[in-house]
Amino acid sequence: MPTHIFRLLCLMAGALVVAMIGKSILTADSFYRFGHYRANSVPEIAAQEPVFQTARYCLSCHTERVAVWSANSHKSVTCEVCHGAAQGHPKNGKLPVPKDAVKLCTLCHEAMPGRPSAQPQIEVAKHNPYASTRQQCTACHNPHSPKIATALVKLTGNAAAGKERATSCASCHGAEGISPNDTWPNLAGQNAAYIARILGAYRSGDQKDVAMTPLAQALSEADIQDLAAYYGGLSCKAAPSASPVGDAAAGKALAANCAGCHGETGISGNPAWPNLAAQKPGYLVNVLKAFKAGLRKDPMMAGVSRGLSDADMANLAAYYVGQSCQPKK
Amino acid sequence: MKEEDRNPSQAARREFLSKLGRAATCVGAVAGAAGLGVVSNASGKSEPASEGASFPTKDYDWTQHQWAFGVDATKCIGCLRCVEACKKENSVPQNAHQFRTWVERYVYLEGEDAAHIDSQQDPVNIEASGSQKEFRFANRYKNAKVEKAFFVPKLCNHCTHPACVQVCPVGATYKTKDGVVLIDHEYCIGCRYCVQACPYGARYFNEEAGVSDKCTWCYHRITKGLQPACVEVCPVGARIFGDRKDPQSPINLFIRNNRVQVLRPESGNAPNVFYVGIDKEVN
Repeated sequence: MPTHIFRLLCLMAGALVVAMIGKSILTADSFYRFGHYRANSVPEIAAQEPVFQTARYCLSCHTERVAVWSANSHKSVTCEVCHGAAQGHPKNGKLPVPKDAVKLCTLCHEAMPGRPSAQPQIEVAKHNPYASTRQQCTACHNPHSPKIATALVKLTGNAAAGKERATSCASCHGAEGISPNDTWPNLAGQNAAYIARILGAYRSGDQKDVAMTPLAQALSEADIQDLAAYYGGLSCKAAPSASPVGDAAAGKALAANCAGCHGETGISGNPAWPNLAAQKPGYLVNVLKAFKAGLRKDPMMAGVSRGLSDADMANLAAYYVGQSCQPKK
Repeated sequence: MKEEDRNPSQAARREFLSKLGRAATCVGAVAGAAGLGVVSNASGKSEPASEGASFPTKDYDWTQHQWAFGVDATKCIGCLRCVEACKKENSVPQNAHQFRTWVERYVYLEGEDAAHIDSQQDPVNIEASGSQKEFRFANRYKNAKVEKAFFVPKLCNHCTHPACVQVCPVGATYKTKDGVVLIDHEYCIGCRYCVQACPYGARYFNEEAGVSDKCTWCYHRITKGLQPACVEVCPVGARIFGDRKDPQSPINLFIRNNRVQVLRPESGNAPNVFYVGIDKEVN
């Protein structure tokens, strides 16, 4: 064998030795344990701390909130979806309550092609025209139980019995449920379930009024049902009302806000909510002011009335008084 | 001199034998060194084995699980909570072009054959969200005549035969015994072969860290008994995760009760993310 070939072989053998020694030193200890990778990297990755903590973590302190949330339709939306990841909470401070509810809620509920029909969706411009300026979704919806509660009152009243009982109401609300005074409401043709609910609220003290509270407290449960049946069954024949001060056209635009519950023309879609069509304008303005000031309590109306000026209220009242109180066929 | 002249073949033999002896010494040295290397390697290997039977953590044995993922595109509403949660959970760079998971929107307009496809990183959608750190789908087809539309969440398929693992030159990415494809960021040299090799575009390159990155099915969560972050936050249950070794796990119920499909079955990668409710255009 020529010398230069022999030297080359020796050199290669030496390089091989160096390479193998080098590899044995430089290869991580756990490299070939399970395969061609570093086994120790698996526990390293597994050791990372979770950022999202799950609702079970929230439950350990916020029992009441979690109880409300978990019993309602948003139960599939976990706490951390809206409030952010809970890692480091409460040590590092509070988790945020989302400020821009419109932005957050529409992520899921804005009507959009591609969203499955089972998903509740709204057209923001119709559902809440003031979304961009003043009206947050949370004004009407509790994010922890977003479905609007419409506690339906069972109606068991007797209209004939109610007519007898109604004699004491007639001085203010009129013999046929049409009030002679601009600041007292018409009752004729009003939703019976609504009348029963409000009378019940006066009776229990949930709602207060100088005149109504003592009167309602004198009523029995059965009386309330009878009265509701009587007034609900009366004809709302539209008596001419005092000419309203507001601008009905401006009111009509505003009333788009109210249509979701009170109907486009003030005929409510749900018997638990009042009809507003042909109602006394002075009464409507007073009630809106009472909601705004917190004198009358209703979570939804409080939010809705917050954004209304006195002029807005007069305009709304002017619009509703001009509507027909006969339900559309 | 005379002797050599007399018998040249003998002299040549002697010379050859002496060379052979020297060569043998060399080879012996090589073999010895190699033996040393093997021994030191073997001793290194036996070290972590002494931790106990349970691997990778003391409460979690990866031989007892086989994870898989389901996506029900008929439920997805495109709210992108999964995308934002994933970024937070896994410290994915806060920008609009690097994701471990993402959502695509397929929209078929009336009279058109091809779908319009966009995802949360589309400029129109970024503008709608108003930030590169928050994501939302713009309502851009509100006034269009839409024949059909749906959202498709995407993520690493954690293939049974992952192309990315095959091409990695340094053993920095691998398939675990419980069915997850992981990346060893300490070993990754940033060559990006794996980013190229993935037929699903599931990997991205993290320029800051100089390594490839991708979905791990939140390995740090699932080994602690939690769900991956995207599954945890999904408000409509469009993402399903579970253990194929548990007959009653959500993923087994999902696969059993639906006609499922995988993306690009022809690639031979054998993905482990199972889809319901997607068109053949989705891949």
